Amino acid sequence: MADVRDIMELEQPATPEITRESIIGSDKLKKRTFTTTKVSRRPEGMHREVFALLYNDNKDAPALFPSDTSNGYKQTKIKLGMRKPRKWEWIPFTNPARTDGAVFYHWRRPSDGPKEYPFAKFNKKIEVPTYTDAIYQQHLQSEDWTKEETDHLMDLAQRFDLRFIIMSDRYDTEKFSKRSVEDLKDRYHKVCGTLAKISGEKKVYHYDADHERRRKEQLKRLYDRTPEQIEEEQSLLNELKKIEARKKERERKTQDLQKLISQADNQGDSLRKSDKKLPKKKLANPARPSRVDTSHILQAVETAGIKFPDYKNSGVSLRSQRMKLPANVGQKKSKGIEQMLQEMELELNPTPTEEICLNFNELRSDMVLHMELKAALATCEFELQSLRHQYEALNPGKSLAIPPQLLSSTTEQDGTKLIGNAEIIDVVGSPGTPSGSGT
Amino acid sequence: MSQQGMLYGGDEIGALVFDPGHHSLRVGYAQEDTPKAEIPAVVGVAPDDSQKMEPEVKVEGSNITQSPSAWKYYIDTTYLHTPRPNMELHSYMKDGMIENWDLFEKVLDYSYEKIIQSESEYHPVLFSESPWNQRQKREKLTELMFEKYKVPAFFLVKNAALAAFANGRSTALVIDSGAIHTSAVPVLDGYVISNAVVKAPLGGDYLILRSREMLESLGVDLTPTPLIANKEIVRDKEKPKYTKKNLSFNPANSWMVYMVKKTVQDFQHSVLQVSETPYDERIAAGVPTVHYEFPTGYHQDFGPERFKLAEGLFDHAMLGAGYLAATSAGMCDVDVRPALYSSVVLTGGNSLVQGFSERLSKDLSSRTPGSMRLKMIAANGTVERRFGAWVGGSILASIGTFQQMWISMQEYQESGKAQIDRKCP
Ligand SMILES: Nc1ncnc2c1ncn2[C@@H]1O[C@H](COP(=O)(O)OP(=O)(O)O)[C@@H](O)[C@H]1O
Repeated sequence: MADVRDIMELEQPATPEITRESIIGSDKLKKRTFTTTKVSRRPEGMHREVFALLYNDNKDAPALFPSDTSNGYKQTKIKLGMRKPRKWEWIPFTNPARTDGAVFYHWRRPSDGPKEYPFAKFNKKIEVPTYTDAIYQQHLQSEDWTKEETDHLMDLAQRFDLRFIIMSDRYDTEKFSKRSVEDLKDRYHKVCGTLAKISGEKKVYHYDADHERRRKEQLKRLYDRTPEQIEEEQSLLNELKKIEARKKERERKTQDLQKLISQADNQGDSLRKSDKKLPKKKLANPARPSRVDTSHILQAVETAGIKFPDYKNSGVSLRSQRMKLPANVGQKKSKGIEQMLQEMELELNPTPTEEICLNFNELRSDMVLHMELKAALATCEFELQSLRHQYEALNPGKSLAIPPQLLSSTTEQDGTKLIGNAEIIDVVGSPGTPSGSGT
Repeated sequence: MSQQGMLYGGDEIGALVFDPGHHSLRVGYAQEDTPKAEIPAVVGVAPDDSQKMEPEVKVEGSNITQSPSAWKYYIDTTYLHTPRPNMELHSYMKDGMIENWDLFEKVLDYSYEKIIQSESEYHPVLFSESPWNQRQKREKLTELMFEKYKVPAFFLVKNAALAAFANGRSTALVIDSGAIHTSAVPVLDGYVISNAVVKAPLGGDYLILRSREMLESLGVDLTPTPLIANKEIVRDKEKPKYTKKNLSFNPANSWMVYMVKKTVQDFQHSVLQVSETPYDERIAAGVPTVHYEFPTGYHQDFGPERFKLAEGLFDHAMLGAGYLAATSAGMCDVDVRPALYSSVVLTGGNSLVQGFSERLSKDLSSRTPGSMRLKMIAANGTVERRFGAWVGGSILASIGTFQQMWISMQEYQESGKAQIDRKCP
């Protein structure tokens, strides 16, 4: 709509400038209209259609069918040729952007009145610092730049608004030797920097010409590659991609394997758990003493801890990523780690320096190992105890003396000291015996 | 200034734009789409014998030693194409620059009188120039415009920069293929990087030359239209039957050469085509032939020759347009190369030869460094392509912000012609 108004040169309704206030203000307005529509609710019993006639939602699209044809194109309201057209005149003007006050002519409406030439404000000039002879002698002397050449450089800078590439193109090579863009920039920025320092500027920028030269050399080499070289690079890149894809595939497979193994572990765990439950539940039945698969436990202990994935694959990654617990560490374990860390008054997410990363991961791996060992020990002790009970039930009156070295001194979990025997573990495989022992 | 003027940034001040070339001089008002006139860049000079009605005396060109005032000058197509006794044709251009100032003045006089039809002191003038124009010629032109034509203001811009403007760019690699040469000119922010301008003497005239050689070897009669009274319809490849105009004199040699050139030029425009890949006899043989009838009435089909002739623009290892462009870009600072490759502007009448832009694009893309994006910008219209520089001048001279750039009469009177070097970079 605003465009149309522009074209027709209609007065714009004063649209407020976009400020924070105006946005917030309009927000308020919106809210208010929103609430008003909410307020006018349909009275109970009134039909929706009837209500819609009364209160039109202003979001409703206007009817597409023309409802009023009386004011169509046929009856124009504009009476052409009735009013005198505004005049255009070939009027002289001066341009304040010019220094000579030259007078040009252009078409203008006299009614617009004399105004400053509207394009003068686009006349922007770059400010090139100047220096006096004295300052040059004192501060700006240079071994390979004469004052004359420096003057020429500053003049070019002014004329071409610091377009150094053009400046080097138009450099007066008859009077002075040819200089590269970097040389010019270097000298110019040195002069500017020195002048700025003299005038008390604190922050002086430094131009690193050598760095620029190196960068351009690199760029040039990049651009000057022959098609064969580009092709070779492309094929190498493709090879690399293939290798990486293969590597990923391999990694994925090992991860799958790992998952399978850990699943098997968990299954073993749950098997054992159900085994453990068996004697409890089926006490009436002749429950067979659970098979304690020591080798399994041993293996579990060996593989225990956290397997942190290798982050040696190419590509960039955050080091903190390395401290993330792998997905196969269960919630229980991670909770345990957390708790232990808290007990040790360690941070849960320490700053991931190289060293901390390594040690933190090791620590947590050890923690998990510790937890697993503890759990294994608890299982063993439980077995031991249940076996003792079985033994006592089978041999009433006798009590099994468990040598103290088998007693866990650290177990305070259930507060019971367990008694067991080394041989018992070997005996565990014995066939189930009817037992009536209560636990 | 009205609101609208500000909106589009334009401010028309009645300026004139001149774009001199080897083929023609383009003249017109700034802010218009096309030049008002395209005047051939040759001037006919003949002894002024208006006293005698029909000149019967045949005077050898070398024998005439009359004072210059006794010369009559013939300018523009209609005057030039009429055979006149002893009218010699001269070009005032050389190597892209104005060489013969006297003749050029005559053409300017003619432009003001017949085309602009207004006094020169009312119109600022913008001239285009070749990127390698010499300082002394620039000063001479400045002097001429201010001193003789009393223009209120004057400006000189490199035609490559103008062509870039016409295509909406201020940074571009301009490939200008004109009558006598093809050039690659890098333009950065409207400034020509003059040390990286590359040109080759292959243009429309070269194609015409090769076409003429080919046609003459075929034994085609190239008698130009103005000398033909009437002709009969003949069958394909049959000997033409026509009668020559009965002239009481022999037209001067330079006029004949020029008219034959025009004849061949028409042939060249309608028949020649650049193949998209380097010329291959077998491929060219497979492409439909083009039928062409010469002014004499002789007509025949042209097949592979069409491609073979045009191939001359590209098959030179060091002169092809693609090579020029890549060389020119390679001479620029590495930092601007990507910008140049991403806007390669094609302009000049000779780029209108069929298939030119496709071939150039192909040629150039094989030379573009792999990591750079290549974009060719070529106006679709013939007018925009032929008058690229003029259109750019028309745009520039009618932009509001440009109005401060003119060298005004006041400035000229104060500082003289030497300031052109500073004011018009
Ligand atoms: N439609 C066309 N097809 C092929 N060539 C053309 C066409 N129009 C013009 N030319 C050629 O372009 C050349 C003129 O180009 P131009 O850019 O005007 O040259 P200059 O700038 O040197 O005057 C002539 O040689 C002419 O034969």
